[in-house]
Amino acid sequence: MASYASRRRNSTIVMGLCLAATGIGVVWLFLILFSLLVNGIPGLTLAVFTEMTPPPGEHGGGLLNAIFGSVLMTVLGVGIGAPIGILAGTYLAEYGRHSKLTPVIRFINDILLSAPSIIIGLFVYGAVVVPMRSFSAVAGSIALAVIVIPVVVRTTEDMLLLVPNTLREAASALGLPRSFVIRRVAYRAARAGLITGVLLAVARVGGETAPLLFTVLSNQFWSANLLKPMANLPVTINNFINNPDANWKQLAWTGALLITVAVLSLNITARIFGASKDGR
Amino acid sequence: MLEKISVKDLKFFYGANLALKGINIPLYANKVTAFIGPSGCGKSTLLRVLNRMYDLYPGQHAEGEVNFDGRNILNPGEDLNLLRARIGMVFQKPTPFPMTIYDNIAFGLKLYENLSKSELDGRVEDSLKRAALWSEVKDKLGANGLSLSGGQQQRLCIARTVAIKPEVILFDEPCSALDPISTAKIEELIDELKTEYTIAIVTHNMQQAARVSEYTAFMYLGELVEFDETSKIFTTPSDQRTQDYITGRFG
Amino acid sequence: MSDHTVRAYDDELMEIGRKITEMGGIAETMLANAIQSLVKGDTELAQRVIATDPKLDALEREIEEKAILTIARRQPMAIDLRALVSAIRIASDIERIGDLAKNVGKRVVAIDGQFAPQKIVGGVIHISDLALDRLHRVLDAYAHRNVEAAMAVWNQDEEIDQLYNSLFRELLTYMMEDPRNIGFCAHLLFSAKNIERIGDHATNIAETIKYLVTGETVVTDRPRAADGYEPLQTP
Repeated sequence: MASYASRRRNSTIVMGLCLAATGIGVVWLFLILFSLLVNGIPGLTLAVFTEMTPPPGEHGGGLLNAIFGSVLMTVLGVGIGAPIGILAGTYLAEYGRHSKLTPVIRFINDILLSAPSIIIGLFVYGAVVVPMRSFSAVAGSIALAVIVIPVVVRTTEDMLLLVPNTLREAASALGLPRSFVIRRVAYRAARAGLITGVLLAVARVGGETAPLLFTVLSNQFWSANLLKPMANLPVTINNFINNPDANWKQLAWTGALLITVAVLSLNITARIFGASKDGR
Repeated sequence: MLEKISVKDLKFFYGANLALKGINIPLYANKVTAFIGPSGCGKSTLLRVLNRMYDLYPGQHAEGEVNFDGRNILNPGEDLNLLRARIGMVFQKPTPFPMTIYDNIAFGLKLYENLSKSELDGRVEDSLKRAALWSEVKDKLGANGLSLSGGQQQRLCIARTVAIKPEVILFDEPCSALDPISTAKIEELIDELKTEYTIAIVTHNMQQAARVSEYTAFMYLGELVEFDETSKIFTTPSDQRTQDYITGRFG
Repeated sequence: MSDHTVRAYDDELMEIGRKITEMGGIAETMLANAIQSLVKGDTELAQRVIATDPKLDALEREIEEKAILTIARRQPMAIDLRALVSAIRIASDIERIGDLAKNVGKRVVAIDGQFAPQKIVGGVIHISDLALDRLHRVLDAYAHRNVEAAMAVWNQDEEIDQLYNSLFRELLTYMMEDPRNIGFCAHLLFSAKNIERIGDHATNIAETIKYLVTGETVVTDRPRAADGYEPLQTP
């Protein structure tokens, strides 16, 4: 019984340590959220969503062009990256499962997944911006797409691998061709996971600053020209927060709050999607 | 008696590993042939050769002959999708597709036949009736196939297989995940299906083999030890190993 | 043969086998005592034979219950299934043999005090010895699962039948010779008939042994007397 008591004691200690560690992690999250709310909410006016970014020294103004730019480039980036990622993930999980190439691709993809985003920004700068002789929204979207791809590849592969083989066999046993089995059965079975993966990728690129800094720069004004620099939230925040102008600082905080809320709600949506079993 | 399928000197390899060591066995038309034997004896492997399911995986290959209506289906040129439409398979675990009950059945049909909506409806109903599931699901054809109970899911899979009108149906331990009542329903179904189809069933349940089949094959370590009429195998088997296995004296 | 994976299954089958052996032993003793009592006119011994019968009945019921329980519990196949079915059949045959021996005992009690010339009893002793011998050998064949020994018993049954027929004629002669013999001879005839039936049950057991060991049932009729004379069907 003595050993039982000591085991109980050990269990309590370890449990306590785990709780403490979790607490420390969560505390930072709440501190961040708290400071964002405190600093961001005062600037949250209708003007933020309706007016352009103001020139330095002026009062008022908003973030409309930056919000528009961010949404546009995120949509473009995901629009380019997600299909590529899904196709590549499908290859890894379905066709290339027994290929020697697959582990290599998977390894490279994992490196890409953890590559610092600033390096991706630099790469796109060299590969797109320099030849085009201009910072542009396209370059920014490509940079975001490069970040999206490994995330989606990974989740797609993982989700397709979770689809039981028996389901594929059952479909094949009906005489269905391979592509049909993947598109109509495997994708459907993995749908919730695939959508979650894309949502997570959106959340991931939504707040990226570094790659955009090298590719789209930013823009003080409204621009919908994909070949020109375009305003976007992360870079705008980056520019405004370091400026002594109080109005800019306030807009930067509000922009940060907006991004955080958007990313948080995307994450939560993704979790909810992932949790519902058949994605209905 | 007509041999729907005749297996001649079949060898099967998982990589370099010989899993079937020269099997010779007939599957008689409109009869149920049961395969029994301890785990790993090769009975499921044999079943998976008959519709060339093993082709989904690299490193597995078969030698010998599997003559289906006289044609060797192991030939490299064989159209596997067509073959699998003619030799259906029902698996150990129920595997409804993540779609409606209706679509589960219509899905495969639509690929093979150009059917009008009403013809399709008719075929779905017919298949569900044949799988003795119609009365239970006729009011919820739009429900997800996964919402059914295990036994119903398995009958849905049988309906799905029957819908594309195969000639042979392979059952790979179809009842091992089911309760006794669902099992009885499946067995009843097999009994009805054999009037139209040639059936092979792998089972770990010897009483089940005794109940549903006319012929039984006992396999052990990749070899066919004994093949005979079921009534003979379960009362007076010729081989001592068969006797030991079916009476529970193994190992 | 190797043992079952489930040891309790072996125990159950062995227990049933032991009970059959026990029944066989009791039946043999009953038959021997019944004959003894008949020969010596020993009513006390005859009473003992009669009193033993319920024990045999109880054993038969017990074997049947155990066998049914084992079938329900183990779903026996092949040799095990045959062993259990055979056990039920043989137990029933032995129980009938016990009944027949008891009937002989009852006759002895009924005959009590009547004149019993050794000359007349002689034939009955002979047929009894034969029946006792068959019973002993067939039970032995069961214990050793010996088909040849069992089939030897099966082939010899005609001997008892023929003997019974000649005994019948002999007793008929005695009865015609002296009407005072009629009562006694009638009892004796019934006893002989009972013993002849015991021989039949021994051949049944022999058939069951063949089924038990080989899975084959005996389809051909038992060999009959060459002249085709059927044993008379007396009650």
